[in-house]
Amino acid sequence: MLVYTIKRLLALVPTLLAATILVFLFIHLIPGDPAAILLGDTATPEEVATLTREMGLDEPIWRQYLLWLGNVIQGDLGTSVFFRQPVLSVIGDGAETSILLATMTMFWIVLFGIPIGILSATRHGTWVDQVTSGGAMLFASVPTFWLGLYLILIFSVGLGWFPSSGFPSLSDNGGVANLRYLILPSLTLAAPNAALIIRLVRASMLDVAREDHVRTARAKGLHPAKVAIRHVFRNALIAVAAAFGFTFAALVSEAVVTETVFSLPGIGRLVVQSILRRDYPVIQGVILVIVILYMVINLLVDLTYARLDPRVSLK
Amino acid sequence: MNALKKFHAIFRGRKLATAGLIWLCIVAFAAIAAPLIAPFDPLEIDPVARLSEPGTPYLFGTDHFGRDSFSRAIYGARMAVMIGLGSVFVALGTGGLIGMLSAYFTRLGHVLMRGVDVLMAFPALLLALVLMTLLERSATNTIIVIGIVYATTTARILFGMTLKLKGEVFVDAAICSGAGHGSILFRHILPNLISPLLVQASFIFAFAQLQAAALDFLGLGLPPEVPSWGNMLSEERIYVTRAPWLLIFPGALIILSVFSMNLVGDAMRDSIDPRFKDDIAGV
Repeated sequence: MLVYTIKRLLALVPTLLAATILVFLFIHLIPGDPAAILLGDTATPEEVATLTREMGLDEPIWRQYLLWLGNVIQGDLGTSVFFRQPVLSVIGDGAETSILLATMTMFWIVLFGIPIGILSATRHGTWVDQVTSGGAMLFASVPTFWLGLYLILIFSVGLGWFPSSGFPSLSDNGGVANLRYLILPSLTLAAPNAALIIRLVRASMLDVAREDHVRTARAKGLHPAKVAIRHVFRNALIAVAAAFGFTFAALVSEAVVTETVFSLPGIGRLVVQSILRRDYPVIQGVILVIVILYMVINLLVDLTYARLDPRVSLK
Repeated sequence: MNALKKFHAIFRGRKLATAGLIWLCIVAFAAIAAPLIAPFDPLEIDPVARLSEPGTPYLFGTDHFGRDSFSRAIYGARMAVMIGLGSVFVALGTGGLIGMLSAYFTRLGHVLMRGVDVLMAFPALLLALVLMTLLERSATNTIIVIGIVYATTTARILFGMTLKLKGEVFVDAAICSGAGHGSILFRHILPNLISPLLVQASFIFAFAQLQAAALDFLGLGLPPEVPSWGNMLSEERIYVTRAPWLLIFPGALIILSVFSMNLVGDAMRDSIDPRFKDDIAGV
């Protein structure tokens, strides 16, 4: 297991380096002078000249990369053109909303996805299965923003149960009760992902149910519910755990849309607004942070996977 | 005849998937015959009839410019089919080729597949957004961007499947009979991958619809004047309380089409070679 962990960590390094090169090149792929791009439209020629020197833009590109990488490692992701603040602190401002949103979404995914998936698998072939797995596929086919708009229309505008947009910090007036701002967004974000988890739990449980140890458990007269949970579901959970890396990526993608629909001050909306404002340092910074986070999560998922299923690390 | 039999076997007893297939045929027909079916010009503005309710002559009502929603929806089918087919073409063409070559030429594969790994470190929509910031808003660029995003998964899937086939006896036989690399790859291996590729294509088509709609919604997809289902939703969302029907029709069209494609893909997946079933990432 230790050897496997070290191997995986080492394998991460080249991918991470290559990803940083891509993120670095992003600024250079935009037509125009990078210094002028980074400073925005309002910069004077003197400012551009100063930054060109500071960033070493007159140097060969590989030295620029090393310089940039050195800054990144020290936590300096540059300065936002729009906010006139360090990029890292701009990202930090959106982190609370995004992390809370992701946590609540995960809560819904587990709460709905796993029990419905188990139900669908144990009632395999019956109308219950057809309705749940068909319904799951239908939910996976709904555009996130459309669902969000209609949830707002029904539950905020119509019934007035939940606020329709924004999110004051938990440290603001209202405290934990402010979480109600995140209920509709997190449900919106959870719907397509819970649907995928339902399909996945169902498929992997049906796979495991065909194995010998399950037949043995049934043959020795164990209660069907016990077989389903202890023998089938526990083993099926390995495949589900492995899918959580993928779920994270889907969450990030859909959070961009959901945060925009509900005007949440999170990192997802920050990306969209920065793109529309041409605030390239922020775009670059957010992408870098998300890519690193995604890699770390994938690593953790793989290590958990190896821990749950020892066959993996022996290969 | 053989293809027809196989077709029958896939959809027999699957009412929902058959219904999905029928719906997709309707969408395809609307896309081809859009100018004949649409009662109005999708860009024609009628200021007097702004935000009219569904009825006659405006079947789906009109938007805030007074444009006929029904005609826009019909032309939207055209964009949907174009984006779907285009993305599938780009994804399978580039990703498929990279995957196959990587599995066949092991050394080249080490390099190419690491490149794919790096691109896969970017979540799908984020990668699409970043690429769109570098490009102009247009149908072609939307297709290229969505195609590239799904080229990565396609490359990985085809890599796995080609690797499995490479060790088969028929490949050895082809080598022994003096077949060249190109002939082995495209005349011996590729024909075995056609069915799984079709399944993969159907899922890419479905995902592409959702991604394109999301890009349109964020204002980074098709140019705003193009009548696509995503743009219809994006442009009219501020009128949702006054004219809720403006969002129901395009939304329902997207959902029905994506759902149908997923159903058809799911049905086809059950009929392919069981060795490849787990390789394909679908719903």
